[in-house]
Amino acid sequence: MSPAAVKVDRLEKTLGKNKVLRGISMEAASGEIFGLLGPNGAGKTTTLRIVCTLLAPDAGSVQVLGFDTMSAPEEVRRRVGVVTADIGVYPRLSARENISYFAELSGVADGELKGRVDAVLNRLDMTSFANQRAESLSSGQRQKVAIARAIVHDPAVLMFDEPTSNLDVLASREIRNFMVESRGRGKCVIFSTHVLHDAERLCDRVTILHEGSVVATGPTAEVRGAHRDLEDAFLELVEKR
Amino acid sequence: MKTLAIVFRKEMREIFRDRRTLIALGLAALATPTVLVVISQVSTKTATQTYTVGYSGDIPTGLDILLTATGLTLEQVADPAAAAKQQVDLGVVFQPAEIDEWYDPTRQSAQIADTRLQTVLGQYNAAKAAAALQQRGIDPGLLNPLQIKAHPLSSPVTAAGNAFLSFFLPYILITMVLTGGLSAALDASAGERERKTLESLLLTPTPRSRILLGKILAVSVISLVSAIAAIGSMLLALTQIPLLGTHVSLSPLAASVMVWLAILLAGCFSSVTLALGTLAKNFRQGQAFSTPLYFITIFPASIILFIPDFNPNLAYYLIPILNAVLVLRDAIVHNSVAWPALGITTASLVATGLICWFAALRLFTRETLLIRS
Ligand SMILES: Nc1ncnc2c1ncn2[C@@H]1O[C@H](COP(=O)(O)OP(=O)(O)OP(=O)(O)O)[C@@H](O)[C@H]1O
Ligand SMILES: [Mg+2]
Repeated sequence: MSPAAVKVDRLEKTLGKNKVLRGISMEAASGEIFGLLGPNGAGKTTTLRIVCTLLAPDAGSVQVLGFDTMSAPEEVRRRVGVVTADIGVYPRLSARENISYFAELSGVADGELKGRVDAVLNRLDMTSFANQRAESLSSGQRQKVAIARAIVHDPAVLMFDEPTSNLDVLASREIRNFMVESRGRGKCVIFSTHVLHDAERLCDRVTILHEGSVVATGPTAEVRGAHRDLEDAFLELVEKR
Repeated sequence: MKTLAIVFRKEMREIFRDRRTLIALGLAALATPTVLVVISQVSTKTATQTYTVGYSGDIPTGLDILLTATGLTLEQVADPAAAAKQQVDLGVVFQPAEIDEWYDPTRQSAQIADTRLQTVLGQYNAAKAAAALQQRGIDPGLLNPLQIKAHPLSSPVTAAGNAFLSFFLPYILITMVLTGGLSAALDASAGERERKTLESLLLTPTPRSRILLGKILAVSVISLVSAIAAIGSMLLALTQIPLLGTHVSLSPLAASVMVWLAILLAGCFSSVTLALGTLAKNFRQGQAFSTPLYFITIFPASIILFIPDFNPNLAYYLIPILNAVLVLRDAIVHNSVAWPALGITTASLVATGLICWFAALRLFTRETLLIRS
């Protein structure tokens, strides 16, 4: 296994009165799709938010490409791109303007800006609606804007948190293809979902969370073991506890 | 510096594509001229309005001509006292060497008619007395042993115009600076949260203080633009619409003081409204949070209306908003600037702005901002 791009070490986090994370450890490498799985409320989103510096851990640490999220948050943010199910875009800006804004804020140099944005628009097949205001776009098109703005600064780590939950089958498939393509480019792709079935087809390795703890981790086939699929494996793990 | 410009440019672009902001700007520019036209119409109407005097008895010779000339119509009635309640504006009974007058002070028309009657009677009595003296070969000047000759230090008409501006301008300035930027401020704070763009924004390596400052600058600019549009259109309207029988205008000194105050207030208000917007989950909640601001800010402006000669000591100039109102009033009424007062006002508003900016920054960087409840 190549050295970890994202290294999560004994993470703990309490939100309000809920102890949401109870010592989570995991490692995701470059060039793989890493599945962060678990039922609703398991702590997947909270973990990802700590990894991308939006939340601070109560205990434990996270390193992204060698940078600690607490001591070098800006270095970490330069290196991660996050796509979530909440497809927020600026409605009065065009798709292109939305993407350019985030590119500029992420420090893409003026000279490179247009080339970078055009490249992303082409890669995601967005040129037909690039100059349309975001308020007039469909959910699938908006999700593309959200992906484009997350990758326009060419981050080494890509995190997808339930990226397909508001999308139809076609749009979902495009996103899955995109994840596979990114793996091919040597990115570390973290895919978080509660739909184990989706993850099974895509992920090289998975970590399954349940109530804030890791219940299984390893290559997808290993975690599945002798079971029919990941779901059965998960159900048995939970019942055993 | 560069990221500041990036945020500022994006916010301005969004603001100018927002119909709400543009409508607010348009209304700001139209509102005051409309109010002025109405005021001017009403005041001309009051001046030319005629009122009815219900009378009984014989009118002293010549008095009827004077009364009619002052816009008082005479109408014979059976019981003037009863008629004065509603039917006519004044009730008058003419008796030899005495006039009985009935009027209801709660009616404005009765008050105006009363003033007119008193004025006419004063002139009538003086003329009669002078004529009687002259008939006896006595100099009528005897009636006024001491003549008074007034030398007003400024034109009374200008003073009246300035008094009007000294209430109206601070009021418009404060309202427009506040309302002009409000929707933009809420959109840039609560709106980011509501539309779920905040998370992506905070994921960029740009420091949050820089993002917030860019937003505050954009909101300040739009506040300033709307205040200046409102006041500019008002001053332009004043050159066209006569008010109090004259064309009221603002001196260049007062205008510069006003622009300076507008800049300070815009900085303060944009920090306050952004802080409130950051506290809110969505646009509507942000609006609810900022409603009290209207009352808080309008209150100092009203003080000038109720106590026009309010001349407090310098300590009062520490109170934000009230100080701006006072400084602007002084600049308009006296056409001069008391530098200590302006200095204290500036310091106080800058300090208020900084406190609000820190509050906004604390709110904007708090962890719970991103956690759904
Ligand atoms: N602000 C909060 N205060 C208290 N508890 C919270 C808060 N936010 C989240 N939680 C709790 O933390 C737990 C984990 O939430 P999280 O969003 O990380 O789960 P998840 O695995 O992403 O679930 P899902 O599949 O539903 O997205 C949940 O039990 C949730 O109720
Ligand atoms: Mg989640």
